[in-house]
Amino acid sequence: MTIDPMEIADFKAELERLHSASFGWALSCCRRDATEAEEVLQTVYLKILEGKARFRGESSLKTWLFAVIRKTAATEYRRRLLRSFRLAAGTEEIEDRISPFDNQTEIFERSEAQTHFAGALKELPKRQREALHLVFYEDLSLREAAEVMGVSIGSARQHYERGKKKLRESLTRLEMGYGNNWGRQETSSAV
Amino acid sequence: MEIIGDDKKLRALYSEAKHADEATTPSFASVWHRAQARSLKPRRAFSLSFAVVTALLLLTLGSLAVWSMYSPRRNEQQAVKNDSAPGAVPPVNSPEQSKPDEGVTVAQKTPPAPVETPVHRTVKPRVRRPTTTQSDGQLLAANQPAKETTIDTWQSPTAALLSSPTDGLFKSVPQLNENANEMKSVLPGRSNDKEK
Repeated sequence: MTIDPMEIADFKAELERLHSASFGWALSCCRRDATEAEEVLQTVYLKILEGKARFRGESSLKTWLFAVIRKTAATEYRRRLLRSFRLAAGTEEIEDRISPFDNQTEIFERSEAQTHFAGALKELPKRQREALHLVFYEDLSLREAAEVMGVSIGSARQHYERGKKKLRESLTRLEMGYGNNWGRQETSSAV
Repeated sequence: MEIIGDDKKLRALYSEAKHADEATTPSFASVWHRAQARSLKPRRAFSLSFAVVTALLLLTLGSLAVWSMYSPRRNEQQAVKNDSAPGAVPPVNSPEQSKPDEGVTVAQKTPPAPVETPVHRTVKPRVRRPTTTQSDGQLLAANQPAKETTIDTWQSPTAALLSSPTDGLFKSVPQLNENANEMKSVLPGRSNDKEK
């Protein structure tokens, strides 16, 4: 089943506008693996082209697209995991994929603070990482983040709050220089 | 959403990460075109695993069907069914056929069906059996009144050997309190003559 070409043309323009944000979200869903993120995005576009993923206007296009990306990434990850188990490639390959900044050149390219930040993010549970990414990176509200994550707004708020707390603790532990400031400026009315 | 304090710092960190990611973002056109190429590429219609599973399934079903068709148990059931069918041989014949002496003449009138053992049966007779049995049954049904009359009047060929001249003696019984004269009729003729 395919979509009408006119419909696709309109959709394409919208997707192009959101492409950068979509790739950032795909990166987050794929544990910062750029190759995997690109593949996931390609699969998402394929789903749209084949009409397997249809936007019905029940939410904003951005939240819908992000939800599709999240689901596709999860499916792709499961598939890869299964394939790697089947081929007895072992967990090494998976670990390679999970560790985000193994590439030394990439590490040098990034600032020290960013490297620490990425390390702290890595320590966060998936849901918390997603909530923080959607709010801080994608500029979505908690309601929109909840829609993308497929959870209630209360649950999304929990993930957000806990994620923030944990991230702050991790950053303090990693001695990024923010340690003293985190404690002093903590406020409950952040959200 | 109000963002203050550490949230601002977090946002700054995320913003920095976003800028770094944007530098590595692949162009939309390239990703889109690759997706389009994938959508246009004909999908492999033949899946080996699917074909193997389907073949195995078909093979199993086929062998099951063949087995059930040629299983001896089913043949026996079929034979029983045919024997008890309404068009089959009527039960009048069965006791006579069971008698070895009487079977000689019955066999002359109606040839008995060939004795079939289920083990040595071939496939063809089994398949034809319902039709042949039906035709036999129809023929027998047509001849039934004639057969019944012959059975009523039929006598064993050896019945004559069982008859003797003194048969009359055993057919009449002497009465008590009768004198000898009166008993004449009962006593044998020879003894009566001597008394005279």
